[in-house]
Amino acid sequence: MPDFECRLKKYRQLMDMTQEQLAVQVGVRRETIMRLEKAQYNPSLKLAIDISRAVGTPIEEIFIFK
Amino acid sequence: MIMKKTNVRRMAVPGVLCAVFTAVSAWHSVKYNDARIIKPMDYSEYTFRIQDLPMILSIGFIILYVLYLFCLLMKKIRVRKSIEANTQTVRSISPGYGLFGFFGLFGFFGFWTYSVDKTIFPFVFFVFFGFFGYFYTAKLSGTLMDERFRENQVKAGAAANKTALTIIFAAVLVLGQGRLIGSLEFTLIAFVIAVSLALALERFLSQYLLYRYDQEDGFEESGE
Repeated sequence: MPDFECRLKKYRQLMDMTQEQLAVQVGVRRETIMRLEKAQYNPSLKLAIDISRAVGTPIEEIFIFK
Repeated sequence: MIMKKTNVRRMAVPGVLCAVFTAVSAWHSVKYNDARIIKPMDYSEYTFRIQDLPMILSIGFIILYVLYLFCLLMKKIRVRKSIEANTQTVRSISPGYGLFGFFGLFGFFGFWTYSVDKTIFPFVFFVFFGFFGYFYTAKLSGTLMDERFRENQVKAGAAANKTALTIIFAAVLVLGQGRLIGSLEFTLIAFVIAVSLALALERFLSQYLLYRYDQEDGFEESGE
């Protein structure tokens, strides 16, 4: 399991987006967003950048690697 | 639909022409050439006669037709693979394909055919057990293939390959001794069974594990 903290849920809710909406926007399944929010999935750089753009937050504020 | 009709025409028309030409050649051979080439003959003493030409040509056309069908099949496979590579969702397949797994039971006929005429080929049918994996593939029909799905696909494939290779390696190691079962024929049979079952397991596991990896978090709360 990847050792990082994910604050995606917080920033997604700030943008008033559902997991489904975010998933559609970045081209993945809702289950993938769900796993990401639980820090159970280590995304590719491209997906991380897409998510960061979708929620309008710098990538290093969403994914915090210890 | 139009495309399908064109494809059928492309395959059927040359086949029908071949069949007609072969029928005419056979009639000609029977009527005017003592049924040469049609009847079994000793080809070591064969000398060419101009009357043999229609039958020789028809055999040539049949060979060309088979090659043509093979090329069409290869082309279709290439096109399908290209479509699959570019598609974003898992292709829809019927769970009915999983029923082909029951053909694996034909493998047990090998014990009977071996006792009758020493034929061991039916043991290869054990490979069909791998089709049971299609039950799981069918459950994933239409799933969006995002990066996590593709990652799971690779992970499942690697785990399945590793398991199958371990079994094959163990079989080679054990059966390679040759004298383990006391007869080389039995050793060969055991080896064919082991490899067939390992291949079936590889097919099944790669599909089953993909389903399991994909679904393992599907039952959790949404967390919206």
